[in-house]
Amino acid sequence: MIEHLATIERDAQGTSRVHCLDARVKIIITFAAIISMVAMPYSTAVYPLALCWFALFVVWWSLTDLSPRVFFWRYLMTLPFGLFIIIFQIFFENPYYDVFTPIVTFPFGISIYAQSVEFASILALKFTACIIWVILLSSTTPMEDLLQGARRLGFPSVMALSLGMMIRYLFVFAEMYADINDALAVRHFSAFSRALPYRYRIKILAYTIGTMFLRSYEQGERTYTAMLCRGYGKDTYEHLEKKALTGGEYILIISMIVLFCATFTGVVLFWA
Amino acid sequence: MHIPDAFLPLWQSAIYWIVALVFIALALKWAKHELSEDKIPLVAVLAAGIFAIQAFNLPVAMGTSGHLVGGALAAIVLGSPYAAVFILTLVLIIQGIIFGDGGITTMGVNILNMGVIGGFVGFYGFQTLKRVGLNRYASAGVAAWLACFIAALAAAVEMAIAGTFPLVPGLIAMGTYHAAIGIIEGIITAAAIYFISTARPDMMAENATVEATT
Repeated sequence: MIEHLATIERDAQGTSRVHCLDARVKIIITFAAIISMVAMPYSTAVYPLALCWFALFVVWWSLTDLSPRVFFWRYLMTLPFGLFIIIFQIFFENPYYDVFTPIVTFPFGISIYAQSVEFASILALKFTACIIWVILLSSTTPMEDLLQGARRLGFPSVMALSLGMMIRYLFVFAEMYADINDALAVRHFSAFSRALPYRYRIKILAYTIGTMFLRSYEQGERTYTAMLCRGYGKDTYEHLEKKALTGGEYILIISMIVLFCATFTGVVLFWA
Repeated sequence: MHIPDAFLPLWQSAIYWIVALVFIALALKWAKHELSEDKIPLVAVLAAGIFAIQAFNLPVAMGTSGHLVGGALAAIVLGSPYAAVFILTLVLIIQGIIFGDGGITTMGVNILNMGVIGGFVGFYGFQTLKRVGLNRYASAGVAAWLACFIAALAAAVEMAIAGTFPLVPGLIAMGTYHAAIGIIEGIITAAAIYFISTARPDMMAENATVEATT
């Protein structure tokens, strides 16, 4: 995951209209989209709602100047665990249906149920309709801007300070991670090589992880000392310039929230 | 083990968020008292290190791989389960918001599983096993295995409560997979602690015996 950090941050440094929006606007819209999608009960009403979310997302993404390939690559990265749950869903009954109709039956009493397939599709759509907004947010907002936006929205300063420090050092450790991997590769070490004894591979990996832990701890000590030298103390706070949202940004936030609420209510009323 | 958005109903996610926030507040209190607020940067940088450590793919069996959660390792080395809560909270925020691994509404439950359950089981498992006579490294290994395994079972139970995955198959699937992953987590944690205590004995000796006082 960390190896993709620089790519994601590079995409986030764009200059499109979406990139230039204040981070607070994008954070609020993302959270509103996700919360309203999660709030929709597990029913077929998710289909039209997800469709509306996808349509809105396509409009937003088209304004980012980012290629659809960027989106699909990011989307694939998020899939593994969710996909596992969704695929296996089709074999099980769940509490959201009363009757289950087998459509395919396998030996050992295993069946695929029509209702479970429907439920799996509902889960997949809900999951996708949520993750697309996270991808949009992180692909169009640099991490520092996200943090500043979160702070302006009331994120606790102690956590913000820690997160800010962590973000800065993530890039250092991403490079360190790449260097360590290169060092292992030039020595023909692969964690998955069957030519090497398993015990040896685990030992090398453990020592590598131990080294990484020590290096990060020692980096933390150095950073702490350097910060003390610059007058850092327990009452220190990072200055954050006040920045009011523009009228246009307020209108955008309100109109998106109204749109989400109206779509949600419309789907609940008319689909039911 | 990261439960994504939409896999739990909103009201259940809200409850898990509230519980997680209580532990986050306790972790912040621990950071202020035990580390002193001045040393928070140290933990923050360490969180970045743990994030990088999680990127290492570890061979499990039959071509499968896993990665370290690191909660038990952080809790044992820093001498408090709240260290794991603090560090894993930072890590999960970045994973959820930047990488979409986990979710926004489900971040609370993920912090609860990996940070709180992982950290507390890892730390108190380690302390208990040491008290019953196991050596430091075996205790760390078993505690890290337990932390990984119990956190995975908790995730299976939470999804069963949500009705998004049945309990028994969930426990079997998550339990089996994470029991295997947990062995690697245990071995790597034990070996990493051996390495750290050899290279920086001051770090371990000073911190591993500190009781969680928050």
